[in-house]
Amino acid sequence: MDKFVTLNKQDLNDFIVKLSRSQPVMAPVARGCKSFVFESVDSAKAIALHYIPTILPPKKYFFPQRETLLTYNKTTPAWDPVLESRKMAIFGVHTCDLAGIQCLNMVMSASPQDNNYNARKEGITIIGLECNNYCDEYASCNVMDNHLPNGGYDLFFTELPDAFMVHVNSNAGERIVNDIGFFSAATPKHTQQLEEMRARKREIFKPEVKAGHKQLRGIFAGAFDSRQWDRIGERCVACGNCTNVCPTCYCFDVRDEINLDFNTGTRGRVWDSCQNEEFAQVAGGENFRKQRGQRQRHRYMRKFNYPVERFSRYFCTGCGRCSRACMAKINLKETIDALAEEKR
Amino acid sequence: MKKMKVAFFDFTCCEGCQLQVANMGESLLEVLDLIELVTFREVMSERSEQYDVAIVEGSITTSHDVERIKKIRETAKVLIAYGSCAAIGGINGMKNNFGLEEIREYVYKKDARFFDTIPTRAIHQVVKVDYAVNGCPVYVPEFVKVLKAALSGIPYRVPDYAVCVECKLNENECMYDKGITCFGPVTRAGCNSWCINNNNICYGCRGLVSNPALNGQKDILEKYAVPLPWIENKMNMYNKPRELGIDDPAKTELRKLES
Repeated sequence: MDKFVTLNKQDLNDFIVKLSRSQPVMAPVARGCKSFVFESVDSAKAIALHYIPTILPPKKYFFPQRETLLTYNKTTPAWDPVLESRKMAIFGVHTCDLAGIQCLNMVMSASPQDNNYNARKEGITIIGLECNNYCDEYASCNVMDNHLPNGGYDLFFTELPDAFMVHVNSNAGERIVNDIGFFSAATPKHTQQLEEMRARKREIFKPEVKAGHKQLRGIFAGAFDSRQWDRIGERCVACGNCTNVCPTCYCFDVRDEINLDFNTGTRGRVWDSCQNEEFAQVAGGENFRKQRGQRQRHRYMRKFNYPVERFSRYFCTGCGRCSRACMAKINLKETIDALAEEKR
Repeated sequence: MKKMKVAFFDFTCCEGCQLQVANMGESLLEVLDLIELVTFREVMSERSEQYDVAIVEGSITTSHDVERIKKIRETAKVLIAYGSCAAIGGINGMKNNFGLEEIREYVYKKDARFFDTIPTRAIHQVVKVDYAVNGCPVYVPEFVKVLKAALSGIPYRVPDYAVCVECKLNENECMYDKGITCFGPVTRAGCNSWCINNNNICYGCRGLVSNPALNGQKDILEKYAVPLPWIENKMNMYNKPRELGIDDPAKTELRKLES
C-alpha cells in the first residue's frame, strides 16, 4: 500500500464533518492563551492546523491518565477485567507524536503485553499532519530524526498551497478515503509541490544540538557521574511536568478503590512520575532516588540510553514538551549541549 | 458490622468544611448508611458525649480549645483533622504574623482583655491525629476516601507531590503561561487541581509538599519577576503555623504560655 491522493483545502471541513459522523474525531484545538489540546471536534472550524505540541500528547487516547483495570466483588468473590476500546480517529498528529506512539506500541506489545493499551489501540485510526516549519525553539525533531514522516499512521496529510497531499498507508486509511470521499488522485503538480516543500524543509530543519543523532547514546551512557545532574537537581522543583507531558513516558500507579458498600470496588491505574518525591520510596521509608538530580538523570537515561539497549530506539521524539512545560526552565537542548561539551 | 458513632466538632474556623458534608448530595445518603451520626451541630439538634470517630474542623487558638481538644482525643478512638484550619492551621495562622497583644487589640479593641488568645496551632500540634483531610474547603471525594480508610482501619496518605501533577493530567493550561502566579508547584496534591480546573489559581490551601525546592522556587519567582515578600505574604495565608516547629517568635510566645 503506497498511494497518494489529494484533498482540496476547501473540502477539509466537509471531510471532518462527515468523518465525525462515522466515528468520534479528535484534533488539536486551542486552549487558553498559548496552548493546544487534542479534543473531540465535529467540524474543521475548531481545529488548529498550525499548532505547537499539545499540553498532553495523543498518548492519552491509548493510555488514559486514569483508567479502570478491573472491578471486584469481595463476597462473590469475583475479579472482572475491564477492557475498553472506542472507535475514533485522531486527526492532525505531528511526526514527533507519531514517533511517540510507535515507541509506546513497542513497549506495550513487549511481553507481558498491556491488554488495556492494545484494546484501545485497536479502535484508533491515526491521521498525521506534517509540520512544514518548526513549531518553536524548544523542538529538536531534526536531531531525533522525527521531522519527516516515518510511518506509524493510517493517513498522512501534508499542506500544499491549495490542497493537502495525503499518503494512504493502511487498509483503515484506504477505507476512510473511499467511504468519506472528497479525495482525488494526486497530480504531477501536487507531487512536485510536495518535493519542493520537502526540499525547503531540508534547508530549515538542522541539528538543534551540538551532537549528532548517533552520538547521543554514547554521550548519555558516559554521563552517569556528570556534575550536570547536580546542577539540574538544584533547579528542579519536582513538579513532574516533564514526565507527565512526555509522549513516551508510561509509568503508572495501580490503586484500589472500594465503594461505600465496602464490598465492591475498582482497581485503576493513574499516570505516575519518576520525578515525584515518593516514586522510588519503598516500605521502611528507603528512597532510592531521593535527590532531584538523580530523578532527572533517570528521566534522561530513560530517553537516550536504556531504551536503546532494549528497543534499539531513542525514546525522545524531539517534541520539546518537557522543556516547554518545565517550571524551572530546565531545557533538554541545553542539557544535551552541556553533556556533549563535558565529553569533549 | 456495627455502625461507628461519628461526631463532628468545630474549633476556630468558618464551618465551611462541615457545610461541604451537608452539600455532598447523593453520596451523603450512602455515607449516612455506614455511620451513626451522633453529633453535628451544623445540621442536627441531638448530641452525644459517646463517639468512636471525631471529625474536627478548625484550629486551636485559645487555652479553652486546648482543654476541649484533649477531652475529645481521650474519648475518640479515631481523630480526623478536617480541613486546612485543623490540618495545617490554615487562615487563622495569619494571626501568628503579629504579636499576640497587638493582634488582640486590633481585633477586639477596648474589649481585648476579655478574650484569651494563644498562637494558632493545627490539631496535630496539640494532640495526636490519625487522619487529615486537607483543603479550604475540603475536597469531598478526598473526604470520602479518608472516611473509608478510617472506617476500615487502613492508613490514608495525602499525596506528597505538587498540585501541578494532577493539573497536568487534567490538561489545564499552566497559569504561569497566562502570566499568573499560582501555588501549584509547592502545594500538596489530592484535590484533583480543583481550583485551576475552574480557572482559579492554587492558593496553597493544602499546605506545602514535604520537600519544597527552595532554590528552584526562587529561580521561578525571579524568572516570572514575582517579588519574594509578596510570595511570603501569600504563603503565610495558609501555612504560617508550619513554622511552630522551627525557631519562630510565635513559638517563643507559646513556650511562655505553656511554662
